[in-house]
Amino acid sequence: MTVARRLLPPLLLLAAVLALWQAICDWGDVAPYVVPSPSDIWTAVREHRADLLTSLWTTTREAALAFAVSGVAGVAGAVALSSSRVVERSVYPYAILLQTIPIVATAPIIIIWFGATTTAVVVIASIMAFFPVLSNTLVGLRATDRRLEELFELYDAGRLQALARLRLPAALPYVVAGLRISSTLSVIGAIVGEYIAGIGGGEAGLGFAITQSAIRLETPYLFAAAITSSILGIAFFQLVKALSRRLLGSWHESELAFER
Amino acid sequence: MTLPSASARPTSPLPDRDQPGAVELAGVEKTFANGTRALAALDLAIAPGELVSFVGPSGCGKSTVFRLIAGLAEPTAGSVTVMGADPRAARRAGGVAYVFQDATLLPWATVRDNVALPLTLRRVARRERRAAAERALELVGLADHGRDLPRQLSGGMRMRVSIARALVARPRLLLMDEPFGALDEMTRQALQDELLEIWRREAGTTVLFVTHNVFEAAFLSTRVVVLSPRPGRVVADLAAPHTAPRDDAFRATPAFAGLVGEISAALRHGGGA
Repeated sequence: MTVARRLLPPLLLLAAVLALWQAICDWGDVAPYVVPSPSDIWTAVREHRADLLTSLWTTTREAALAFAVSGVAGVAGAVALSSSRVVERSVYPYAILLQTIPIVATAPIIIIWFGATTTAVVVIASIMAFFPVLSNTLVGLRATDRRLEELFELYDAGRLQALARLRLPAALPYVVAGLRISSTLSVIGAIVGEYIAGIGGGEAGLGFAITQSAIRLETPYLFAAAITSSILGIAFFQLVKALSRRLLGSWHESELAFER
Repeated sequence: MTLPSASARPTSPLPDRDQPGAVELAGVEKTFANGTRALAALDLAIAPGELVSFVGPSGCGKSTVFRLIAGLAEPTAGSVTVMGADPRAARRAGGVAYVFQDATLLPWATVRDNVALPLTLRRVARRERRAAAERALELVGLADHGRDLPRQLSGGMRMRVSIARALVARPRLLLMDEPFGALDEMTRQALQDELLEIWRREAGTTVLFVTHNVFEAAFLSTRVVVLSPRPGRVVADLAAPHTAPRDDAFRATPAFAGLVGEISAALRHGGGA
C-alpha cells in the first residue's frame, strides 16, 4: 500500500472532525475559554509562535537527554543485574519499589535536591523513562537460546564475548520494545517535571506553557501547547520505530514483512 | 577454489591407530542432581577415524554421553578421555566440534559470520577466519550463500551451515547429536551422502553420530553402538566396515539389510525401540 493510500483515511477523518468542531463552536456560541474552536487554537499558535517554539525546543532537549540517559542506564543496569542471580534477586525488588512511587511525589524531592533547574527536569524524566528499558532488557537477557549459550561455552567464549556477541544482540528486540515505551515516557516526564518545577522565562518548556495558560484561562493556547506536546511524543516514538526497523529489520520476526 | 588434500593439514597431523584412542570411556556413570541415573558403567573405546553411530530409545542417555565427551558435563564416576586428554583440554585445543539437532545459528549474523564464529571467539585474524569460512562453506556446497541470513535458507541448508561451522576449525572429533532428525527424507539422504564425503576428505576425523533412525545408522557408520533404556549401557557393539562404497546402491544390498536387522534385533533385545 502506498503512503498516500495509508494516510488518506485518517487525514479525511481529521478534516471531518475539525470541520464539525469548528461548526459547533461557531453556531453553538461556545465561549473560547471553555472550548476553543480550531481557528481559535490556530490564532493562539500564531500569536505565541515565539514562546511556543522556545518551549518546544526546551522540552525536546530535556526529553532527548532523559531518553538517552534512561536508555543507557536501563541497558547497563540490566546487564549488571543479570550478571548474577544474587544481585538480581537483591536489587530488582527495590527497582520495582522505586517505580511504584508516584512521580508527583518524586518530582518535588528531586527539585529540592537539584533546584528548579533543567537538570532536575531531566532527572525526573529519566526516572520515569528508565524502568521500561531496565525490565525489558532484563527479560531479553534472560531469554537467550540455551543451545546458543551451550555453543558459546563449547567454543570457550569469555563472559564479555558472550555478552557482546550473543546475549545483547539476542536481547535487542526487547531493548527496542523498552525504548519505544520510554520514548513517550521521557516526553511526558519532561512536561511533568516542567509543570512541577515551574521554570519560566527563556527556559520555559511546554509544561510551563500548559500551567501558565491554565492559570490565565488562555484555553486556546493551552490546547496548542497540549497538541504540540503530543506531536513531540509522536515524533520521538516514530524515531525509535525507525531505529528498530534499522536494527532488527533484516532478521527479527517483529520487523519482517509478511511475504515470504 | 581447490580443496586442500588431506596431507595439507599442518595443524592436525593424521592420527594413526597406535596413538591414544579418539575417545575412551571407562566405567562412566552419570546421575543427575534429581536422582535420575542416565548412564550406568559405560565402557567404550573409539579409535581415530571411526564413524560411530549411537542408537537407542529416547532418553537412553545418548546426549549425556556427548555432553560428557564435549566436557559440558562431568561424570559422577569413571573417566572420560578425549584424544589422550581431559575433555575440556581437548575442547580448548580446538579438537572437538558439536552439531546440535537444530541448526542453532545466530539469526542476526550472515551465514559466513555464523560459520566463522568458533574462530571469532578464539580471536583468529579476520582474513584467516574468512578463508576458513569460505572453505567450510565450499565443503557443504553453500559457497554462494555466505552473505545470506539464516532465515533466507531452507531447513536443510541451515543444517549445512551448522555442519560448516563445526568443520571450520578442522576438528579431529565431530559430535553430531541427531543432526538430521528434523529434516525430510530427501534432504536427510542428501546430507548423509555429504557427511560421508566430508568424512572421507577430512581423513582421520572421528565422527560420533546420535540417531533414532536404524537405516541412517546402518548407512553411515563403520560401527554401531546400541544403548539400552535408562540407565544407558552398551547392548550391542556392531562393526560395519566400509567394504563397499556407501552410495544409493548400498541401500539395496544384503549387507545393508543384514545390518539393519542386527541393529533392530539389538534394540528389541535391549528393551528399547
